[in-house]
Amino acid sequence: MAAGYNWLLVLSSVFLCNLVKTFLPSISSFLSKVLQKDAEQEMEMRTEIQNMRLELSTISMMDEFARYARLERKINKMTDKLKTHVKSRTAQQAKMKWIVNIVFYILQAALMISLIWKYYADPVTVVPSKWISPLERLVAFPSGVAGGVGITCWLVVCNKVVAIGLHANSLQLWRCADV
Amino acid sequence: MEPGEETSGRSAAQRRAESRRRRLLQNSEQRMNRIVGFNKSDSDSSEARRAMEPRFHLDLDRNESWSPPVSTKRLSPYVSEAGGSSATPCETPERRGSPLPDSREDMGEDDVSRGVRQRPRGELSGDEHSRSPRRGLQKYLSRFDDAMKLRGQLGSEKAAQDSSTDPEELDSFRLFRLTGSVLLAVFVRIFVCQYLSIFAPFLTLELAYMGLYKYFPKVEKKMKTTVLTAALLLSGIPAEVINHSMDTYRKMGDVFADLCVYFFTFIMCHELILLFGSESS
Repeated sequence: MAAGYNWLLVLSSVFLCNLVKTFLPSISSFLSKVLQKDAEQEMEMRTEIQNMRLELSTISMMDEFARYARLERKINKMTDKLKTHVKSRTAQQAKMKWIVNIVFYILQAALMISLIWKYYADPVTVVPSKWISPLERLVAFPSGVAGGVGITCWLVVCNKVVAIGLHANSLQLWRCADV
Repeated sequence: MEPGEETSGRSAAQRRAESRRRRLLQNSEQRMNRIVGFNKSDSDSSEARRAMEPRFHLDLDRNESWSPPVSTKRLSPYVSEAGGSSATPCETPERRGSPLPDSREDMGEDDVSRGVRQRPRGELSGDEHSRSPRRGLQKYLSRFDDAMKLRGQLGSEKAAQDSSTDPEELDSFRLFRLTGSVLLAVFVRIFVCQYLSIFAPFLTLELAYMGLYKYFPKVEKKMKTTVLTAALLLSGIPAEVINHSMDTYRKMGDVFADLCVYFFTFIMCHELILLFGSESS
């Protein structure tokens, strides 16, 4: 009975891979948020800068020039520090994105290779060979069973169909979000 | 009279020398032409020869319009003057006044042919030598400009892709194609596949799509500047050819997508029929 559902197993694996691929940016941003430790510090710095700017707007430059200049220098210093922080955070995010992508592609490749390895000799499903007559060898590759649908052919077909389906779905979601 | 004879003899020698010198100076251009290896008859034959010569410098230059190879441009600045004179090298006064007329007359043609032989076909004259690097530089600069523009375009498109999540539109014809493929697959599984290969109805459907294509509103597809198109553009292939190739490539992709959807639906139907058939039995 389980042998009859090979096509479904391959299809679900491909679907899962494509689904995870769609959510890769969200996953990487979530992971970078989780792993980021100095987010609070950055927030504090931002609020502090805002407070100091407010204070600066209340000071008259003519009357209290020394105080004004001191505060302005402080704001500049803090802004520079914040910029360095943001820069390092962006670099970290890019690094995280890169690592997540690499890990995903390695896992996907491992999954595909293992599927091909498993169903190298067995077709995922069998139909009468006459139905697919001119291309039966191509469709059956690499199993070589007459009328069988080989793993490579099925993987390609599933990938294409799932990509089209997910694309149409994302398009609909995007339209809904627009409305 | 001896001194007179002497003076007359000396003066005659001097006169001869003077006249020879003058002749040489007068025919300096023709002499130079002979040295360079050009004469009028050569100019006539060179037209035909130039047509057979490879013109790599012209073929490579896609920005400039093709200019016919004119033989007068080919050689030295002396060429135009030499072309104007009707005298062949054999008829030149220099030749006539040469001390060895026979040998020189034999050498006249020999010289010409030697002059031609001295310069191989692919070799350029001094003028072209000075012109082709300039042209090459212009070509290089234009290509460099193109490369910089394409780089900017690629960068901006990539940034736009990163920033916006706007997916590519599924136009009505594409939707129609996919729906048709699904419906045909179901129909074929239920009624046709017992009698015919499943690819025959699919090919008929594709032919029908080709005919129906013109009845659907044409969607202006945005041409994406990929690295491949940029490389093709920079290698000198015209943009129209690239557009045509990309259009063909896109159509092939559409047919492949249809085939995948058709085959997938067919197998799914088959499996579902098997499942329900086994359950009912």
